Amino acid sequence: MLDLFTYDFMQRSLLAAAMVGGLCSVIGVFVVLRGLAFVGAGTAHAAFAGVALGYLMGWPPLLLAIIFGLATVWITGWVEEKGRMKLDVSIGILYTTTMALAILFIGLMKTYNAEVYGYLFGSVLSVTNEELRTIGGLSVLVLGLILLFSKELYFIAFDQEMAEASGVPARTIFFLLLTLVALTVVISLKTVGAILVFAMILIPASTAYQLTHSLRTLTLYSIIIGISTSVTGVLISAVWDVPSGPAIVLLATSIFFLAILFAPKRERRLAPAA
Amino acid sequence: MSESAEPIIQFDHATFGFPGVVALQDISLSIGMGEFVGVIGPNGSGKTTLCRAVLGLMAPLTGHLRIFDCACGELRCHHRAQIGYLPQKGVVDRNFPVTVLETVMMGRYGTLGLFKRTTKKDQAIALDALAHVGMDAHRDTALGHLSGGQQQRVFIARALAQQPKVLLLDEPTTGLDITTQHNVIELVAHLHKELGLTVLLITHDINMIRSHVDRLVLLKTRLFAAGPPAEVLKPEILRQVYGKELVITEKDLVIVEDYHHHH
Repeated sequence: MLDLFTYDFMQRSLLAAAMVGGLCSVIGVFVVLRGLAFVGAGTAHAAFAGVALGYLMGWPPLLLAIIFGLATVWITGWVEEKGRMKLDVSIGILYTTTMALAILFIGLMKTYNAEVYGYLFGSVLSVTNEELRTIGGLSVLVLGLILLFSKELYFIAFDQEMAEASGVPARTIFFLLLTLVALTVVISLKTVGAILVFAMILIPASTAYQLTHSLRTLTLYSIIIGISTSVTGVLISAVWDVPSGPAIVLLATSIFFLAILFAPKRERRLAPAA
Repeated sequence: MSESAEPIIQFDHATFGFPGVVALQDISLSIGMGEFVGVIGPNGSGKTTLCRAVLGLMAPLTGHLRIFDCACGELRCHHRAQIGYLPQKGVVDRNFPVTVLETVMMGRYGTLGLFKRTTKKDQAIALDALAHVGMDAHRDTALGHLSGGQQQRVFIARALAQQPKVLLLDEPTTGLDITTQHNVIELVAHLHKELGLTVLLITHDINMIRSHVDRLVLLKTRLFAAGPPAEVLKPEILRQVYGKELVITEKDLVIVEDYHHHH
């Protein structure tokens, strides 16, 4: 099995998995706490529609994925702010609309294009050096912004109204968070695919949520779970020759259910502080 | 203290609302530095709108509102940070992963501004705020594990950690048992005296606050009365606002039935 590590493609995919796993698990903390779970799913499908349009027209797919992803989160945020509609309804409409567009764009292609399906299901084992550099660059950007604005992001995740009232530019930070979610989804698209990226964002943070009562510890646990399940998932995928995306996600889900069953929070809940 | 104190919040014929809905009409009111003002009125009387206005989250449609000698529409984040705000009690998710100290530290974020990290000094301020509300022993407890009254104390500490000039409390006793309600009001009165804070307390419970406040402001879309409790709490004034909901007992205690309980 150690032979695996000597292959270039294997080193690339492990590195990509670690970066994507780490990134998704950090942004996931804010997504889970701020209740934006469904936004992640919607954005993934919108970004996929962008990829499909890119291949159809011969334009750069990742650029279009970013444009589609950002448009979706910004419209969603705007609708929520205006209070016109509940967030889950507006994202539900955008989710299905962009999926319809994706199917339309794929249908319009004259020939079968395997690369498009790579973005739908993910193919971490075929990540190229160039893609690795893009993933790395964008990851540094997103993580840097999260680090820079972490205290504001935590505050709006806890209570956006309180944050705004106490002098935090909460609306701007909320749109920054939405933007970071969209970028994370796009970065992860090639590695885990549009369908499973959502799980990569949600599961590590939700698992960590079962284990601690502190925001900082939650983030730390989420990162550890995110990176370790991604890397282990890729190894499982290589050793047993199963698709990498499902290997990562199913592994993470198993840990999530173990955490739910054995979480210390369950015990502490029985004896709350007086 | 009276209106002669240096004004810190000034409404001048200010009307607030949304297109087609007037929430507060033609309000003229000046709140002085260091005053303890209770704002009362039935549900839907515009109490929460007043709160949002003071926070600079809602500019007047007509008229003027000045806060810290700054027009309401120009109120920036650093001004807002000088108002410690306790919102109407929402239900805190018992499992939300945040400790008491982490919650209070959030009070420092707006004051610090963007790009600045919290330091030991901020932690000392947060711990001092916790000591003021008597919750310093619970600094590492999960917020969701505290009782409702303890959570309110922590949120008051979060407001204090801003080192505010004004403490703005929106229905701080809602959802608490009667003893805890008294404790919370006593705490606010104590903080007002000890820290010299200007306090604006919004409530529907007149009896709870009448003995603590310098002035009462009676709202029902319009400002019906503002003055010392003895001047405002007169049957002829209260009847205009509360109508049939008003019950006055022999001991001259004013009891306004709570609309919440009827629905």
